[in-house]
Amino acid sequence: MKNSIPTLEKLDRVFNPRSVAVVGDKQALGYMWLKSLTSFKGRVYSVQIDPNELPGIEKLGVPNYLNLNDIPDAVDYVIAAVPRGVVPAIVKDCIRKQVGGVCFFTSGFAETGTEEGIRLQRVITELANEAGLLVIGPNCVGVYNPRIGLRHNPIQTHGEGGPVGFIAQSGTHATMFTVVGARHGIRFSKSVSYGNAAVLDSTDYLDYLKSDDDTQIIGIYVEAVKDGRKFLSILRALTGKKHVIIWRGGESGEGARATASHTGALAQSSVVWNALIKQCGVIKVDNLEELIDVVKALLYVKPATGTRVGLVAMSGGQSVAIADTFARAGLQVPELSPVSYDRLASFFNIVGGSYRNPFDVSSSFLMSDNAIGNMANMLDVLDKDPKIDSIVLELFTIISPFSKNKNNPDPLLNTIAEFKERSKKPFITIVTAGYNETLAAEIRDRLLEKDIPSFPGFERGARTLKKLADYYKLRQGQSLN
Amino acid sequence: MTSKIITSALKDGRTVLTEVESKQLIAQAGITVVETKLAQSKTEAVEIAKKTGFPVVLKVVSPDIIHKSDIGGVKLNLANATQVGRAYTEIMAAAKKASKKADIHGVSVQKMAKPGVEIIMGMSKDAQFGPVLMFGLGGVFVEVLKDVAFRIVPLVRRDASQMIREIKGFPILQGYRGQEPANIAKLEDMLLKLSDFIDKTPQIKELDLNPIFAYKDGAVAVDARVILESQ
Repeated sequence: MKNSIPTLEKLDRVFNPRSVAVVGDKQALGYMWLKSLTSFKGRVYSVQIDPNELPGIEKLGVPNYLNLNDIPDAVDYVIAAVPRGVVPAIVKDCIRKQVGGVCFFTSGFAETGTEEGIRLQRVITELANEAGLLVIGPNCVGVYNPRIGLRHNPIQTHGEGGPVGFIAQSGTHATMFTVVGARHGIRFSKSVSYGNAAVLDSTDYLDYLKSDDDTQIIGIYVEAVKDGRKFLSILRALTGKKHVIIWRGGESGEGARATASHTGALAQSSVVWNALIKQCGVIKVDNLEELIDVVKALLYVKPATGTRVGLVAMSGGQSVAIADTFARAGLQVPELSPVSYDRLASFFNIVGGSYRNPFDVSSSFLMSDNAIGNMANMLDVLDKDPKIDSIVLELFTIISPFSKNKNNPDPLLNTIAEFKERSKKPFITIVTAGYNETLAAEIRDRLLEKDIPSFPGFERGARTLKKLADYYKLRQGQSLN
Repeated sequence: MTSKIITSALKDGRTVLTEVESKQLIAQAGITVVETKLAQSKTEAVEIAKKTGFPVVLKVVSPDIIHKSDIGGVKLNLANATQVGRAYTEIMAAAKKASKKADIHGVSVQKMAKPGVEIIMGMSKDAQFGPVLMFGLGGVFVEVLKDVAFRIVPLVRRDASQMIREIKGFPILQGYRGQEPANIAKLEDMLLKLSDFIDKTPQIKELDLNPIFAYKDGAVAVDARVILESQ
């Protein structure tokens, strides 16, 4: 009998399970699934019939059963890592058990392009659709919900959640964004990798995250969608309500199509995706780094109101480089108002420095007796100047700008944090590595502890500010040119 | 909405509409087109030209001939009955010479449109998102520079407004070097009418309105090509 619960309700059960069963975890996988679930706040069960695997599972303290239907408890979410030929049998077990949904880590289906793979995938689709079983994948890693410790990789963070949801066709991207993103201060509500989309497609997960109150920012990694019109209409409904960022993969693989019109010849798939992005007020990114940068900016940077930047660099050479990079990204580096120059002249040492915009603070910060006071004053000048929309501060990374002992309050860090708090303008820092990666990472972490966003290099900072400025402009209904 | 034009073409086993058919169909969408009539004889061509008013344009009408000017199937700026008669004979001869098997319906007669800013609008279907509309400046801008903007159907006013302003050549529409500016609001209306029409007419597979002449007070489709989905 077909289960008639609406898809969104079923998804809610799967994203917030109270019990999870792992079918087929094994030594060869390093018991990856069961280890990922050591953080899970609900009940965990294992289903494994191979006697050689049982001691390993027992050692993890997880009760094992020979069949899903032997588990004396309701099962909300099933993760199956079984050989592909066994998948139809597991689908049937899940239907009988009336589980909330199942994710198949197993690959070897339509993605192989083989007759057997395509046939097996069709079997999954037909069995699941007939019974109303929710299937994630196959060929994916499924759901992540850090608040309840539901993970698909043991290195994912758990406990603390956040407002960012992620939908990824690729399991690697789902893992990388959640793991690398966490190092950049991004906290997640939910994420899902959905692989071959045999039953549910990106559109279904998007519909779910649209209605999920915990999710305010939605990232999507997608190569293709099945129901483009529905995808478009959900995105349109999200415009202005939640931030949506799309990373579209596979753009380079698209060839020309045979068409009979000028329009058809020019309407390549990447062009249409770009149209969708403009129509729905979505932010487009091209890789993991851009995705992280943009989400970080949405979380930690105040909305941009324009494209004029005030730039503070640590030396003469860097001040030229930062100005060039920000200008090349399409931002303006204007002269300041006369009143700003009057204020700067009162404390800024122009021997070994300059403050036209960009600022070279060698003499007034790096080699000054009043470094902290000068820094606060410089930032305040930029904050008060009506010709400046956003403020960028480069931090020196050859030696740490902060006190060595992380536990001691640092005057510079506090000054920057206080400035960020009182300024109404978007503010970012640039922490370039290069000489000492470990030190750069430490500086980034200390900034992040104070909710100060940093970007690894002028270019990433510049591109992010430009993307955000374009985005907020588009949201106001103006066109880009 | 199934137009008789579509039904009858499909009944003939054709997916390519002629210029005359394409324009009639587009006119049903509420889009201004240069009125174009089919002449099946020299006498008829001259009569239509007299009623239309000179100067006129004559073009071969055949679903089998797509690149009309390449084969000498287009004659512009015909100022009187004698020129129209001669043009008719020449076009028919050129068409027959170009393709013995071509199904030639006759020759289309239309008023020579007053020059304006050349625009192209079109529709094509995307495998994932269905119909999409294109907007651009005509001629070299679309063909060489590919300076065009796309939106997925159905468009809202904001989409139409943004796609027009998105092209690099937008300043040309605002009146460049003393040229008359185009009426942007009318172009937006045209895109919205087209979007609405496409939404209601799934039988259309591809469409080009190329060129459209844009003026200070409006815009008119000078040529149109509609390709239908095969049944």
